[in-house]
Amino acid sequence: MNTLVIAEHDNSQLKPATLNTVGAATKLDGEIHILVAGENCDTVIQSAAKITGITKVLAVDSENYTHALAENMALLVTEIADNYSHILTPATTTGKNFMPRIAALLDVAQISDITGIESIDTFIRPVYAGNALATVKSSDSIKLITVRGTAFEPAITDNNNAEIQTIESGDNFAQSQFESHQLTLSERPELTSAQVVISGGRGMGNGENFALLEAIADKLNGAIGASRAAVDAGYVPNDYQVGQTGKIVAPDLYIAVGISGAIQHLAGMKESKVIVAINKDEDAPIFQVADYGLVADLFDVLPELTELL
Amino acid sequence: MANYKTPLRDMRFVYNELLDPEQIQALPGFEEISSDLVEALLEESARFCEEQLQPLNRSGDEEGCHFDNGNVTTPEGFKEAYNGFCEIGLNSLTSDPEYGGQGLPRSVATFAEEAMCGANFSFSLYPGLTAGAIHSIELYGSDELKKTFLPNMVDGSWSGSMCLTEPHCGTDLGLCRTKAIPQDDNSYLLSGTKMFITAGEHDLTDNIIHLVLARTPDAPDGIKGISLFIVPKISVTKDGSLGEANGVSCGSIEHKMGIHASATCVMNFDNAKGFLVGNLNKGMEAMFVMMNNARLGVGIQGLGVAEASYQGAVEYARDRLQGRALTGVKNPDEKADPILVHPDVRRMLLTQRALIEGNRALAAWVAFELDVSHNHPDEKRRKQANDFIVLMTPVVKSFMTDCGSEVSNIGMQVLGGHGYIRENGMEQYVRDARIAQIYEGTNGIQALDLLGRKMPEHFGRNMRPFFHAVRNYIYAKEMNYELKDFLIPLAKAFGRLQKITAVLAQRGMKNPDEIGTASSDYLRMLALVALAHQWARMAEIGMQKNKGDDGVFYQAKIDTARFYFERILPQTGALFATMMAGAKSTMSFNDDAF
Amino acid sequence: MKILVAVKRVVDYNVKIRVNADNSAVDLANVKMSINPFDEIAVEEAIRIKEANKADEIIVVSIGPKENQETIRSALALGADRGLLMQTDEETQPLAVAKILKYVVEAESPDLVILGKQAIDDDSNQTGQMLSALMNWPQGTFASKIDLMDNEVNVTREIDGGLETIRLKLPAVITTDLRLNEPRYAKLPNIMKAKKKPLDIQQVSETGIDIKPRLTTIKVTEPAQRSAGIKVSSVTELVEKLRNEAKVI
Ligand SMILES: Cc1cc2nc3c(=O)[nH]c(=O)nc-3n(C[C@H](O)[C@H](O)[C@H](O)COP(=O)(O)OP(=O)(O)OC[C@H]3O[C@@H](n4cnc5c(N)ncnc54)[C@H](O)[C@@H]3O)c2cc1C
Repeated sequence: MNTLVIAEHDNSQLKPATLNTVGAATKLDGEIHILVAGENCDTVIQSAAKITGITKVLAVDSENYTHALAENMALLVTEIADNYSHILTPATTTGKNFMPRIAALLDVAQISDITGIESIDTFIRPVYAGNALATVKSSDSIKLITVRGTAFEPAITDNNNAEIQTIESGDNFAQSQFESHQLTLSERPELTSAQVVISGGRGMGNGENFALLEAIADKLNGAIGASRAAVDAGYVPNDYQVGQTGKIVAPDLYIAVGISGAIQHLAGMKESKVIVAINKDEDAPIFQVADYGLVADLFDVLPELTELL
Repeated sequence: MANYKTPLRDMRFVYNELLDPEQIQALPGFEEISSDLVEALLEESARFCEEQLQPLNRSGDEEGCHFDNGNVTTPEGFKEAYNGFCEIGLNSLTSDPEYGGQGLPRSVATFAEEAMCGANFSFSLYPGLTAGAIHSIELYGSDELKKTFLPNMVDGSWSGSMCLTEPHCGTDLGLCRTKAIPQDDNSYLLSGTKMFITAGEHDLTDNIIHLVLARTPDAPDGIKGISLFIVPKISVTKDGSLGEANGVSCGSIEHKMGIHASATCVMNFDNAKGFLVGNLNKGMEAMFVMMNNARLGVGIQGLGVAEASYQGAVEYARDRLQGRALTGVKNPDEKADPILVHPDVRRMLLTQRALIEGNRALAAWVAFELDVSHNHPDEKRRKQANDFIVLMTPVVKSFMTDCGSEVSNIGMQVLGGHGYIRENGMEQYVRDARIAQIYEGTNGIQALDLLGRKMPEHFGRNMRPFFHAVRNYIYAKEMNYELKDFLIPLAKAFGRLQKITAVLAQRGMKNPDEIGTASSDYLRMLALVALAHQWARMAEIGMQKNKGDDGVFYQAKIDTARFYFERILPQTGALFATMMAGAKSTMSFNDDAF
Repeated sequence: MKILVAVKRVVDYNVKIRVNADNSAVDLANVKMSINPFDEIAVEEAIRIKEANKADEIIVVSIGPKENQETIRSALALGADRGLLMQTDEETQPLAVAKILKYVVEAESPDLVILGKQAIDDDSNQTGQMLSALMNWPQGTFASKIDLMDNEVNVTREIDGGLETIRLKLPAVITTDLRLNEPRYAKLPNIMKAKKKPLDIQQVSETGIDIKPRLTTIKVTEPAQRSAGIKVSSVTELVEKLRNEAKVI
């Protein structure tokens, strides 16, 4: 049977994690369809149709989906779920929000945050903050899966022209409603898909000092991340957090600055290709996972690094 | 960097398996203290100490207290930590519920105190001194004094201090000169200077309640003329609110070897209004009763620091790669083996461990008997418990603080040069631990108290509960072949102790210097036998459980016991010989030749 | 206003777990267990709501073996009013947990259910969403702020791009994120009092709820360890290595 990927987007752009999810879907059997539910999201629908491997785009344009509220997403997806053996979506805050709701309505389990596909019913997923990997087999007729983007190669997006099928909007769930959002505006690449991530921890001392990281991120076209300690201390907003319960990143280069390296943080970045740690405490656990460690005061190192890049 | 974790597993073992939780629960007043409640209380206490007190240990040491024109400020973070500490009730574990305390058994509170001292020794002194002051008022204060002072002291909004020492009067409190002049309203005006007063002045609380030893104008000379007074820093009005400042001021704070975050103050009393606690001229009696509790507390300080040092040493010994094992490479992937493989390092770690766990067990026994002495329904049993405590108080104070020093020094040694520098936190334990051998009665004085007073008192009655317990244990287990490695050396050391006790009692009657010379050695020997008794019991339990759940823990008990019996208890032989040699070489030495 | 809080007993977050020898599971023998940190935040939030006089009763429910009573007691010590253990020794996966919670919700009729957003053992992040689906209630997941009004609640959620605020009609389900609050320490007297608070026990087997696992764990393995690399001595050396050795810049 076929696989449905639920696209993540902001009504104007497809989020990169969607491509990794399609990448994961190609490891399953059957056709891959993609659902784009949003409002005034035509550009997203068009780019979804271009993704290699997609045979059909299900498009629904309605104010019910402007903010991808879980309740409405669930009502919509349960309508079409029967046509699929697998439904996949990125394990982002959006996907994690609506997917279990769909699962419960369909009376099936959800398989969270998979990092590997063994067969059409057997998957690998990290547990205990990534300190163990569980291989699980699902006995449900429909497999609902959230996909860890960093674990799968993204699908390519230029050479396809999939059929676009407009579908009916589902019902509106009246008991919940979007009020407002405060999005962190940034010109930088998105944390979870950037090639380079530079993260600061408690050692940064305050929020202003993150400017030191920005200077380097500018040169490397990197994204900025943070440890939980730095977020809790209010240096940077919550969406910078990398870790077990924050964002999972796996860039080509991860630079950890003033981060001690609690297991919860390591869980979010240890799949990075190259890890650099800068910390003045030579016993900091972060050095145990770093390819290159520099024991030094970050306030000396960062300006020099900016200079040299 | 050292990172203290409360040894909850071992505490649970001591409480549930070495003590008898049901016996504690059977004491009137402790009916609700079930073993799972104790577990929950200790876990939360431990969490607070580890998460809130420990992070301030190093910074408090570096920063120290500040003195500015009579005002003392504690290091950064202490005030917040103190507030949190009182909020959850850690300051009033054993205080009377009538005044807002938790009314917990001492045998439970002791573990929480250990966690406080292990996490932050200096911090623990602020609530520690308050607890001492509360205890004195509970025992000897009039109802009015109790009503005026206890509720605020028990909830932590006021703290306490104990003002005994004066510049010319330390051990010999009979030299006390502070004057107390009676007034018409039944109060007294106190004048004089006290020094070395822990928590005499600080910024943690709104008021400080000083308990002050002083002398009324026509009091007899010496120790028999000393009375105890309550002197608040700020006077308390009839309705219980704070009134005017009393004539109490802090003259300076000391710069010292360790416990930098604890303010050690010179306190000046200048016509300060005070109130008599207990009877006139009976101040020392009041002190002595209070001391049994306080001295166990000081022993626990030694234990807490020792444990912290041990943990730091073990962690380092696992990680530090240096040299190769004598018997061949243990760690082929690296250029050197962890120092844990070296016999001498193992000797150090096992010595630490054997002394720590032995002391924890002994302290629990003493704490339990303290509970019995207060709460047991049977007067005879209470008396017997009291005899035991009277004997063991100088032992736990002195031996456990000696071990605190010894063990933290060993801990530093395990780290080599990295122990001596400040960065790793190990030298702080050495500096902090040292004071506990000095204050609350020097360890030398404790030993004298044991051998010169406690032993002969009531024709040796105080000795009986302890000696009988050890003897009965040996008799009861004699036939247990499995225990022979422990019982035989225990019986041998116990025999030596009995023998030297008799010898010294005899010699002491002829020449008191025989007692004075032998006392420190005698105290150590008695303590080593007491630990051997505990270690035999622990090994016995270990043998019953080392095959089951958590067998590793129980096997380690047996193995540590073995180390104790083979490599520490034999010290009693040397001590025996030393004492047998008598006082002559010590006392006949020409004073001018020193 | 009545609040139901669900708490799970999990391996303490400080414990470094190990996979057992036959690769069938994580080794849990003699491992320290604690309340799931996100659930502790949920309990704290409920207590704060009650302290602000916006709720009258807090019920804490846990699902699992009899040891979970300790977890419930610790929530009672923080300030919850009564506890309920839905006892079972079987494995309960999120869908089963949600079904059991639905059963409890139907019996207790709370106005608000608060749960942690995920348990730090299985890292599933599903139960709250599933429960609200089964109840057909609105959901506010990953909450960093909860603003309770008469019949509605505003929930500020931590999302990938920042924060989002949604408005839910009560009754509703909320799951907590890290920055919602900082849980207090239990006061020692309250730990003692918690012993006397009511704690009911019901057997899951007697409810007729189907809790059969839908996922079978075939094996559990340890992830490939990353080995420590090298220490560089200067920024120049670092940049040189990144350029010429790692070739990532
Ligand atoms: C950091 C710190 C905190 C303190 N906190 C307090 C406090 O809160 N309240 C308080 O009142 N005091 C406090 N003290 C004082 C402390 O209790 C005394 O220092 C201690 O009792 C010893 O008194 P001393 O220093 O005058 O020594 P001394 O009494 O002069 O003794 C010097 C030496 O002689 C020995 N010695 C003295 N007399 C005899 C004897 N008869 N037989 C055998 N040996 C003897 C002693 O053992 C010691 O080795 C504190 C001291 C310090 C350093």
